[in-house]
Amino acid sequence: MTKHRRRGTTAVLLTALTAATVALAGCGSDSGGGNAASSGPIQIWEGFTGTEAKTFSHLVSEYEAQHPGQKVSSLYVNNDDTLQKVLTAVRGGSPPDIAYLYGSWAPNVAEIPQVVDLTQVVKQPGVDWNDFWTGERAVATVNGKVIGIPALVDNLAVVYNKTLFAKAHLAVPGPNWTWQQFVADAQKLTDPAIKQFGTAYVTPGTEDTVWHWEALLWEAGGQLLSADNKTAAFDSAAGLTSLETLRTMAVTDKSMYLDPTDSAYGNLFNSGKIGMLVTGPWDLSSFPNVHYGVQIMPSYPGSSGGHQTISGPDNWVIFNNGSAHVSAAEQFLLWLTAPAQVKYFSLQTGDLPTRQSVAQQASVSTQMNAALPGVSTFVANLGNVEQARPQIPQYPKISQILGTMIVSVLLGQSQPQAALASAAQQVNQALAG
Amino acid sequence: MAVSAAHAHQRGRPARQRGRPGALRRAVASDHFAGWAFVTPGVVIILLFGAVPIVWSAVMSFQRNNLLSPSTPFVGLANYKQMVHDPIVAQAIQHTLIYTALFVPGTMVVGLFLAVAMNRKIRFISFYRTAAYATMAISTISEAIVFIWLFDPSYGVVNYFFSLVGIPQQQFLNSPSEALYVIVAMTIWGWTGFSVVIYLAALQGIPQTLLEAASIDGAGPWRAFRRITLPLLSPASLFLAVWLTINALQLFDEVYLSTQGGPLNATTVLVYYLYNQAFQQFNFGYASAIAYFLFLVIIVVTVIQFRVGKRFTYYRS
Repeated sequence: MTKHRRRGTTAVLLTALTAATVALAGCGSDSGGGNAASSGPIQIWEGFTGTEAKTFSHLVSEYEAQHPGQKVSSLYVNNDDTLQKVLTAVRGGSPPDIAYLYGSWAPNVAEIPQVVDLTQVVKQPGVDWNDFWTGERAVATVNGKVIGIPALVDNLAVVYNKTLFAKAHLAVPGPNWTWQQFVADAQKLTDPAIKQFGTAYVTPGTEDTVWHWEALLWEAGGQLLSADNKTAAFDSAAGLTSLETLRTMAVTDKSMYLDPTDSAYGNLFNSGKIGMLVTGPWDLSSFPNVHYGVQIMPSYPGSSGGHQTISGPDNWVIFNNGSAHVSAAEQFLLWLTAPAQVKYFSLQTGDLPTRQSVAQQASVSTQMNAALPGVSTFVANLGNVEQARPQIPQYPKISQILGTMIVSVLLGQSQPQAALASAAQQVNQALAG
Repeated sequence: MAVSAAHAHQRGRPARQRGRPGALRRAVASDHFAGWAFVTPGVVIILLFGAVPIVWSAVMSFQRNNLLSPSTPFVGLANYKQMVHDPIVAQAIQHTLIYTALFVPGTMVVGLFLAVAMNRKIRFISFYRTAAYATMAISTISEAIVFIWLFDPSYGVVNYFFSLVGIPQQQFLNSPSEALYVIVAMTIWGWTGFSVVIYLAALQGIPQTLLEAASIDGAGPWRAFRRITLPLLSPASLFLAVWLTINALQLFDEVYLSTQGGPLNATTVLVYYLYNQAFQQFNFGYASAIAYFLFLVIIVVTVIQFRVGKRFTYYRS
C-alpha cells in the first residue's frame, strides 16, 4: 500500500542535509530568471530505477535523435527526496529544468516562484490535455493554474488470493460487489488458528493510511471538504458509513491485519496469510507466490458514489532557467507525454498509461496484462477515478488529523462518530488558521 | 591578522607588539602559520557546513519560513510560543524523556554485564566479542525490519514465547501504550555493542593487583566488583551516560523506519516531530524552533551529567 518505499535516513544525514539546504540557501542568490541566452542540455531529475530507468533513457536518446541540437541530461534522484533537493537548488539559483515531483506536493510546489505556469502550454493544439485522466489533471492544477504534466498514475483496487477464496468456498468478487460482501468475505477468510486474516490496513497514520479511507468516503457519497475548501465536510453520514466499515473489520470481526509499519502486509499476502488487499498496481510484482485476482473496489448500495477509487498521480514540473531552457523543456515534456511515448513506456514498464486514448487501445491492455497479470483491471479502473484530494497547501496538516482519526477507530480507541466530530473540528481550525 | 594575533598571544608577548613592522613576517615564518595554513580549508568547510547552518536555523526559528515561497517574515518568538501550546510537542517531550530514561541505563547495564562476562580467558572469546560488537555494524534498517517481525502481534516470535509461558498476547507496535518500549528494546540491542566495547576497554585497564589485594583481604567477587571494579569504571560510565543521552535525545531512525511516530503519536519523539514539521508540513521556522529547544535541553542535561558525574567519577593518574 505504500507506493514509495522509504530509504533509511539517519538523523545525522538529515541534519547534514538540512545544514546543506540552509547553507546553500544562505549563500546563493535567487537568480530565478537565469540567462535566456544560455543553452546546453536541459537538466531533468527523475527517480526511475530498473526497467523504468532503461525505458526512460531509451526515450531520451530517441528524442535526441529525432531533434538534432537538443540535449537532455537526466540525473537520478530518489523520488522521496526530490522536493528537498529542488528547494536547495532553487535557493542556490540552479534548479533543474524539469523535476519529477509527487502529486501530493503540488499545492506546496505551486508556491515556488520559479515553477513555470503551463496553463497556456497545455492548451496548445496537439497536446490534447483532456486526454489525460481527470484525476491527473486535477492534481496537476492548483487554483486553476497548471503547474505540471502528468508523469505517472495509479489507483487502488482489490487484489485477492484465489486459493484462499476457493478453500473458504467463496465466490470470487464480481465487478458489482458491495462493501457488505467485502466485510462478509473478510470474516469468512479469517482463521485465527492458522493466523489468516481477511484483509489488511496500514496504520502508521500517514497519508498512506488516509488515502485508502478517502476512496471509501467518496464511494459512500461523501466529500472531504466543502466545495470552496473552507470547511470540513467528512463529518457526515457517508463519513460514518465508511469508518464503520473499517471498524467492523478491525474491531468487531478482527478480520483485518493492522500493519503499523507499512511494510509487513505485502509479505503476508505473498505468503497466503491475507485474503484481500486494497492496493495499487505497483504491488502486483511482489506477489509471485500466490494465485491472485484483481477486482475494482466494492461499492455502497444506494449511495450516489458507485464504484470509485483514488489515484496518486505524480507530475513533471518545469523550473524557470531562462526562456530558452523553458521552451526546450516544454518541447521535451510534450513529446515525452504524447500518446506514442506513453504507450511505449507503459508496455515496457507495466506502469498504467497516463493517457485515456492509450489505455483504451485493447491491444495495450492485453499486452500489459500478459506481462503482469491483473494490471488490466487497474488500467480499466482509471476510469473510476472521479475525484482528487483537495489541492490546498494545508493538506499535509489535514492528512495528519485524518490519519489520527482513522487509526484511533481501527485500534478501537474511539467511536467513529466521536472521532469524526473531533477531526472535523481540528480540520476546520487548520483551514481557518 | 587573526593568525598573527593568535601567534603573539600564544607567545605571551604584550599585545602592542602586534602592530609593529616585522610582526607579520615573524608570524608567517613561524610554525603556527604553517599549521593554520594546513587546517584552514578544513576549517572553512566545517564553518560553511557546520556553523553557517547553525546560525541560519537560529534565524529561521524567528521566521515563518516554508522554504518554498520567498516571503519569510520575521515573527519574533511566535514559533517558540507556539511550542508551548502544541499538545504534540508536550507528548514528544514526554516520549523523549521516557525513552532516554530507559534507553541510557538499559544500554549501560546490558553492556556492562556482557563486558564483564567477556573479560576473561575462555574459548572463542574473540568470536563472542565480535558478535557483541556486530550489533553496531548492522544497519539500522535491517535492525528495524528484524524487530518489526520479532514483535509482530500475530506472527512474531516474541508473542509465541509469551504464549508458551502463559503471558497474554500483546499488540506491541500496534498499541499506543507499548510501541515506545519496543523502540527502547530495539535501540538497546543496537547500541549494546558500543557500550560493551567501551566497558571492555576500561575493564582491561583495571590493575589485576588491586583485585588480588582485595581478594587476599577477604573480599568476595561481588564485593570486589562493587568496591573496586565499578568505581574504576566510572570514567567510562560517565562517558557512556553523556554519549548515550545525547544520542537518545536525538532518536529518529528507528521511529522513522518502524512506526513513523505512530500509533496515535505514541512514538513521536522530538526529532521525529521536527522532521515531520519541516519536511512533511513545510514549517521550517517552527521546526527550527523545536531544534533549538532540543539543543538547549541537550546542553542542560549534559552540564548536569558532568556536574553530578564528577562526584562519582574516580580518575587514576
